[in-house]
Amino acid sequence: MSNQSLEATVEPADVQSWIDAIGREPSAAVPLLQAIQGAYGYLPRKAMDLVIANTDVNASQLYGVATFYAQFRLKPVGRHLIKVCHGTACHVLGADRLNTSLNHILGITDEEEDTAANGSYTVEDVACIGCCSLAPVMLIGEEAFPNLSGADAQRSLKKHARKVKEVLPGHEEMQNEAKAKKAAKVQEVRA
Amino acid sequence: MNGMIITVGEGTCGIAAGAKDVMTLLKKQAPEAEFRVVGCVGMCHREVMVEIENPDGQVYLWGDVDRKSAPKIMKFHKGAGDLPKDNLIRSSENPDAETDAYLARQTRIALRNVGHIDPKSLEQAQGRGSYVAIKKMVAEMSPEDVIEQVKIANIRGRGGAGFPAATKWTFARNAPGDKKYLVCNGDEGDPGAFMDRSLLEGDPHTVLEGMLVAAYAIGASNGYAYIRAEYPLAVENFQKALEDARAANLLGDNILGSGFSFDVKIKQGAGAFVCGEETALLASIEGERGMPRIRPPFPAIKGLFAYPTIINNVETLSNLGWIINQGGKAYSDIGTSGSKGTKVFALAGAIKNGGLVEVPMGMTVRQMLEEIGGGSSTDYPIKAVQLGGPSGGCIPASLFDTPIEYEAINATGAIMGSGGIIVMDEKSCMVDISRYFLEFTQLESCGKCTFCRIGTVRMQEILSRICDGKGTMEDLDTLEELAHKIKDSSLCGLGQTAPNPVLTTLKYFREEYEAHVKDQKCPAGVCKGLITHFIVQDECTGCTICERYCPVNCIEGELKKPETWVIDQEVCINCGMCVEVCKPDAILVQ
Repeated sequence: MSNQSLEATVEPADVQSWIDAIGREPSAAVPLLQAIQGAYGYLPRKAMDLVIANTDVNASQLYGVATFYAQFRLKPVGRHLIKVCHGTACHVLGADRLNTSLNHILGITDEEEDTAANGSYTVEDVACIGCCSLAPVMLIGEEAFPNLSGADAQRSLKKHARKVKEVLPGHEEMQNEAKAKKAAKVQEVRA
Repeated sequence: MNGMIITVGEGTCGIAAGAKDVMTLLKKQAPEAEFRVVGCVGMCHREVMVEIENPDGQVYLWGDVDRKSAPKIMKFHKGAGDLPKDNLIRSSENPDAETDAYLARQTRIALRNVGHIDPKSLEQAQGRGSYVAIKKMVAEMSPEDVIEQVKIANIRGRGGAGFPAATKWTFARNAPGDKKYLVCNGDEGDPGAFMDRSLLEGDPHTVLEGMLVAAYAIGASNGYAYIRAEYPLAVENFQKALEDARAANLLGDNILGSGFSFDVKIKQGAGAFVCGEETALLASIEGERGMPRIRPPFPAIKGLFAYPTIINNVETLSNLGWIINQGGKAYSDIGTSGSKGTKVFALAGAIKNGGLVEVPMGMTVRQMLEEIGGGSSTDYPIKAVQLGGPSGGCIPASLFDTPIEYEAINATGAIMGSGGIIVMDEKSCMVDISRYFLEFTQLESCGKCTFCRIGTVRMQEILSRICDGKGTMEDLDTLEELAHKIKDSSLCGLGQTAPNPVLTTLKYFREEYEAHVKDQKCPAGVCKGLITHFIVQDECTGCTICERYCPVNCIEGELKKPETWVIDQEVCINCGMCVEVCKPDAILVQ
């Protein structure tokens, strides 16, 4: 499954309803983008075009704002979003290891990529979420997982994946490798 | 049991630690009890916290409550089980000296209600005295009287800069025009600081009360609460507070029949550290990229939508109701000659009692770490504290007798900032921490000023080079030179303070930088380019767990044959996963 399939279907009527509720003036730019991202998980091109066509916010301002703030993303997001906190306390206690370990189990190897190839999960770094005494912390959706080691992060993700019936590409690959290794060993012993 | 009152702390950190689960479980175990929800008490290191009041009036405070311990605690309360000692923090019968000291050494003004009330209940907030100040203010005081009391209190802006609040207000009060704005700055972007979050989600009415005081003083009828989008619970609770206050005529038109009108809208931030800066925050509310503007004109004269605007930090606002009730004098009696009142700090890192603490100005760093924080949480002594986040600096252990007040802290090269304190022991690398902060400021620089935009990138590159063992002694001089130039040529606080973490660590921990450059060693064993992981085969059991967790498949060996296990150094990325999972501690880092 490629990221292409994660593209959202934008209903013009939805976008219009947010514009009606929030407003058309330039100061509506941030809340409008927040409404769009809230619904689709990212900012689809079509929704952006609709805002530009139907409000006083021009394209330069809208994209200027969308690319300035850390909250907004222009790329589609996986079906589940993992946020890894990189506040100071989390950093000192090893937050980097959570990324290494999550990317491993999700089979994300390309540094530019943050979503698993099957579209299951996206791993995003966030600035401090303010739970410093529970560091390191990550969120899967709304649920927080405190005091994690790299291995804990993998265990929590595996558990979550079982619950929501997602396949973890990196984990699958590891299992296949282990199976192949075992089979080779059996062959060797038999021979 | 009938008559039993069970209170669960459901701040963001409590919820993260599993408070909702605990609540569900307790409700099942004691359906007849009365359940209450409160915000964060500040003792984050013992979350989930539950307070249980027996029908006979005995009060027990439990910590680290989870699925396993909750039933044991309930069993004890029903008189059917032993006292679960590990979870008991204190009770009326068994006071705990350390916890009592933790609370007794604090002076809670801003945090006066947090952890005592259900943040969604106006009634409970009023039960603790919220809005008494507003009744008094509109009935007895003129705006000038209010400014006068705040001037006597001499409270300085708690967001970081420390500018006297009353002085700022006077500018806006005297600015011509009928339309003025009051903005609450809740864009707490410092990694490691969470007092504003705790106030907004744990006691929103106190923040709103402060906004009313400030608005009355400057003559504002419109307000914005700019709250970080990363704090959904704060937004939710503050929204509820606005609705309830409006319904009670404490907000909106003709407040309590006084003729004073003021209303507040919430604006959610979208994740930009620079928006903590006043003019950038205003640009953000106006729908622009959050880039600072040249001052003057100051926002107090020409601010939001070109109207006179005062921006006050959440913590500053939370003190105002108290000042109106008790008088400015009572506030200025606390603290030192230059820094009055109290300051809230977020203690985190290698400290035993991490959490939120509010202390009178003038307490020393050492007193805070030892008497409240309980000292190091690890086997190693505390080496330094990082105060003020990315804009602040490191204070070494040799200066721990420095009193906590604006001038004394500034003299060390750090800043009070918003009050985030990260405690570091000998396992923390000072070069790595500087690199971390520069990476942060480099990303968050809005790009307006050249030195901040490019200079921070260059500094970060040099620091990464040093962490990789590829730095030169010249690099250290270049760092210093760049640091001073960035400070001198940046428009706003972000650039002016961004080099502080580097300057202070170079000043106090130069030998660590030199060890990275000259000896190619990271004394703390943190920097990945300067350490190697290998397996001590005598300790290894050949369990294969490291092989399974290694993300780059660089560990190999045969099951139960320790002598076969090795790490391929060419492939190893020194991520440390193997160290984490190895049960017999057979992996050595050098």
